[in-house]
Amino acid sequence: MSDQIPTVNPFGQADDPIPMYRELRECPIGRMDFGQKRPSFVVSRYADVRYVLKNAEIFSSCEAIDIGNDRPMIPLQIDPPEHAKYRRLMDPYLGPREVAKLEDDIRKLTNQIIDGFIDKDQINFHEEFAVPLPCTMFLRLVGLPIEDMEMFVGWKDDIIRPDVEWGDVEAAAEIREKTGAKIYDYFGGVIDERLANPGDDLLSEFVHGEVEGRSLTKEEILDICYLFILAGLDTVTATLDCYFAYLASHPEQRQAIVDDPGVIPAVVEELLRHETPVQVFPRTVSREVTMHGVDLEPGDHVLVVLGSANTDPEEFEDADEVHFDRQDNRHLAFGGGPHRCLGSHFARLELRIALEEFHKRIPEYSVLAGAGVSFSPGIREVADLPLILTAEGARQ
Amino acid sequence: MKVSVDDAVCVGHGRCYAVAPEVFGADDNGHCVVHRAVVDGVLADKARLAARNCPEEAITAAD
Repeated sequence: MSDQIPTVNPFGQADDPIPMYRELRECPIGRMDFGQKRPSFVVSRYADVRYVLKNAEIFSSCEAIDIGNDRPMIPLQIDPPEHAKYRRLMDPYLGPREVAKLEDDIRKLTNQIIDGFIDKDQINFHEEFAVPLPCTMFLRLVGLPIEDMEMFVGWKDDIIRPDVEWGDVEAAAEIREKTGAKIYDYFGGVIDERLANPGDDLLSEFVHGEVEGRSLTKEEILDICYLFILAGLDTVTATLDCYFAYLASHPEQRQAIVDDPGVIPAVVEELLRHETPVQVFPRTVSREVTMHGVDLEPGDHVLVVLGSANTDPEEFEDADEVHFDRQDNRHLAFGGGPHRCLGSHFARLELRIALEEFHKRIPEYSVLAGAGVSFSPGIREVADLPLILTAEGARQ
Repeated sequence: MKVSVDDAVCVGHGRCYAVAPEVFGADDNGHCVVHRAVVDGVLADKARLAARNCPEEAITAAD
């Protein structure tokens, strides 16, 4: 059976992945060869992706990710039921009520960043907006020095997008391991410091946090930090890149936001769906299971393609099109099941405010003519996004 | 119409209280809390819309 499974690459075509997603759904189970011992099966239809995400007892997160970390990252790589005790500790700090308190800070910072380039006619959106806004907010929240942002972002990039020839798994692993050692070393020091001098930041809360009536161990705190530095410094940046690359080349939809900012919460959801910044997520099979006639064995890898689930016409009407007035939108851009993105409420708030303030002050912009907009695969960021800010008179 | 949420299924996506804040709210973890267990008219429509926007199918909104 497995000989008949099409070989696919869900990491290809990040610039315009929708046609690739369509092909993946036709498989409907594909196979990707990473040069690993066990096969990787690619799952792409909405119903199947949801099934994998929901059934953590069949599809484990524990060994699914190896990115330079010595131990499973908490809570991402902890399976239920143990997973819940960490989420119970962490969720309230990133719940909608708690993050809502940050709204004024986010708005103020957004405007300060815009002040920095409002008089310019051209910006690199990624460098000048998409990186500093979420990364500054994240470092403030967690309680890490803003002046070291470049170092943290560099570590995160070395782990998520190691600068190697595509497919050179060994070279990537080497960079990740070296960077991982730096992350553990740095946070080891920060944790000791917070144990001695607690502040009111998130890291201090975790350092003094309890699960099941006991304090977290230093290793547990490190395993939280490892995940935080990667998740907190990458995905909102990538999402902003996706949003503004899309809007800069779709002037009617950009104008719809300027004309009616009330549409922005729906824009946040619809572009999360259509652009799906995190394209693919891994799991490992822990119990025998058959999907579409393909027998999956314990130890096999599974890649769920969130982007193809989010553009599946079986789930979404006019799935390939962007409709800000879409009523039914249960997209999986933040994943689903027990591992639903811990930062999703924070992310949504930042994305909404970024769209509100940017369009209020810069109602017209476009991509520099002739500039190729290139998305990185896996997590779709646009490292070089030259935007021309037009209509100088309308800027404020 | 009666509205309920299965706490064992909700993972806190937060779509319900975004689309129907009159009917649903959030607890500290961001999980769904039903504010109005019985609704009709426009609120019943909103509750149904919230149910259709829940990626976990945790919400029941039925007569």
